[in-house]
Amino acid sequence: MEKAERRWLYILIVVFVIVNAVTLSTLIPWQSWQLWQKPTPSQVVNVSYDNYVITMDTPVEIKAGEYVQFSATSTDVTYGFGVFRKDNSMVFQMQVLPGRTNEITWKFDETGMYDVRSTEYSGPKHSDMVVRDAIEVR
Amino acid sequence: MAKLGWMEKWTLRFAVVALLFLALSGFEGMLMRTQQYDINSLHSMETFLNTLRPGDIEPTTPELYYAMLTAHPIVGIYGFVYMAVFGAFYFLVPYLIKKPVKHPKLVVTNFWLQIIGVMVCWASGFFGLFNALYTLYWPLPVAFDRVPVLGSIFFMLGAAAIMVNILLFSYNIFKTVLSKNGEGSYTVGQFLRAAFGIPRLMKLFGKEDKKAVNMDYNGMPVFVVAVARGSIDTVINAVVLLSAGVLILIYGLFALFGNPLNPLAVDALIFKNVYWWGLDMVADGNALIYTAGVWYLLVPLLTGRELFGANVVKTVIMVDLLVSMGVWSHHLLGDTSQPMWMKLFSGQFITWGEYFTMGLTIFVSLMTIWKARPVKLSPPLKFVLGSMFGFVMGGIAGLIQANVGLNMVFHNTQWVVALHAHTFLLTGVGTMLFSVIYTLVPMLTTLEFKFKKLINWHLWLWLLGSVSMSYAMGMAGSKGMLRRTLYTGGEFTPYTLAAVIGGTILSAGFVVFLVNLVATLGVKNVFSILIPEKWQKKPVIEAETAK
Repeated sequence: MEKAERRWLYILIVVFVIVNAVTLSTLIPWQSWQLWQKPTPSQVVNVSYDNYVITMDTPVEIKAGEYVQFSATSTDVTYGFGVFRKDNSMVFQMQVLPGRTNEITWKFDETGMYDVRSTEYSGPKHSDMVVRDAIEVR
Repeated sequence: MAKLGWMEKWTLRFAVVALLFLALSGFEGMLMRTQQYDINSLHSMETFLNTLRPGDIEPTTPELYYAMLTAHPIVGIYGFVYMAVFGAFYFLVPYLIKKPVKHPKLVVTNFWLQIIGVMVCWASGFFGLFNALYTLYWPLPVAFDRVPVLGSIFFMLGAAAIMVNILLFSYNIFKTVLSKNGEGSYTVGQFLRAAFGIPRLMKLFGKEDKKAVNMDYNGMPVFVVAVARGSIDTVINAVVLLSAGVLILIYGLFALFGNPLNPLAVDALIFKNVYWWGLDMVADGNALIYTAGVWYLLVPLLTGRELFGANVVKTVIMVDLLVSMGVWSHHLLGDTSQPMWMKLFSGQFITWGEYFTMGLTIFVSLMTIWKARPVKLSPPLKFVLGSMFGFVMGGIAGLIQANVGLNMVFHNTQWVVALHAHTFLLTGVGTMLFSVIYTLVPMLTTLEFKFKKLINWHLWLWLLGSVSMSYAMGMAGSKGMLRRTLYTGGEFTPYTLAAVIGGTILSAGFVVFLVNLVATLGVKNVFSILIPEKWQKKPVIEAETAK
């Protein structure tokens, strides 16, 4: 290996270490409960999917700063569970596979109303799979 | 124009048909971008096209949109990219190793079977409204209340034709390299050992592979080593996709004859793992390795200097092959039932292996150019540099989304398909293939491109268009705009409008290129390339028969 190549490789290694260290750390807020601790949720929200319909008791009332677990199941095909702010920006999401219990824990910091939308294509009616004001964070 | 040899003519045929598929894929892309801007914009066209469809069906706008979205990548990847790769490799591999193609009839078979396979897939969407998308997430392709069963069956037949064809192509390339005609002959074992880089690994540990052929150390062109290693990914990809297609085909046939099988008999997560393991080898395996191989070939050729660090790049290609076999989990970072250790290692850390291999590849290519100064920036070299820019931009976007933390807000958004996939395919692979065309056309025909200024216009319009389109949709993705979702309320209008403008600039660049290409070759010659000799009264281009 030439000297210049070796130097370039060192630069690549340094960037690799820094980027991965930063993105695995709690500088990304949800990494603290996704990777580094297993908090006990104060609430479990069950969501079911069947024939393009998302079923959940709406609006789900959640306290800001508390951990809540979303547990989703599908009876037919793969869907997605995504929580969106009113400006359509995404808070988080997960895939909802049939035959599996799909679970994700989250902690909301911002109060307000949130929409739930299927984030995975499930057939031509997929675009309509939106539950407006599905979650209220107080 | 010089009298073309048999292989040269077929290479041009592959190139011309590849460009036609690019035009079709691009047209579909523009239609879908326009619908994302205004969902009602294509109603007149939809009404007209419905008159061409059999039966008395009136599909909805989303049904048409998702059917087009299913066909679009098949036309773009297996129509444009693979046809171009077939043509280029069928010329370059024999040219570099000084051996004729082992089975010339397979070249003709590859040409027609690829066209048939791609067009059957396309027709399954256009006429059969097959809409399960290329991801084929189980059990959607066999959920026949959402996906038309006949469309599914024909799509799988088309896909099977493509995959079998790719296997035939890989077989022919391997047989050509291994053939005992001309200089050098290798056993299959020797060749596979060299392709996997076993002698280099042994050398690393201080041992000499005495049975090693003189192809991995210094005898075989780096490009051919890259083609061989990339083709291993190509074969795995084709086998996995063929198997998935056959499974779906069996479900379709049983449903067609009134005995539907249970879709939940196949586990969705296991299917997704196996399918992505194979499918991902198109993107993270052969595309990267083939591209690296082309850069390793063109940069020294265009600068007149030996490749900088040539020995290291052979190891890099080998590492890339190993990396490509372990990265698939970055497509499953949104699946909470996928074990976290697989997401971290396969999804995130091993994916960074490509950052190292492509980082070194681009470095040695740029160092070669730097060391060769003063360098004339010829058209192909400009396109090589443009393609490197595309891979850097698309690669950074890919590393961001292939991150366990960041994927939470990027998964399945327009970021993934635009800023990563389309930048890779259009700015990266597309620009690289144009560099090959700008190199090969004068080599094959002895004709120089007629309008030099149009080459620059092509370069800058193509780069500006592809980057601005991808950037606009990528930013929409970062704001929450999903991929595989037709928005009906104008939620992301400023971004979709910017993407339409970017796509228009990109299309203008492509038209400029076509004008220059046709002006260079001549209209009659272009038709002569496309039409089989026996259908022509007097061929304008005379081709030697295959030896």
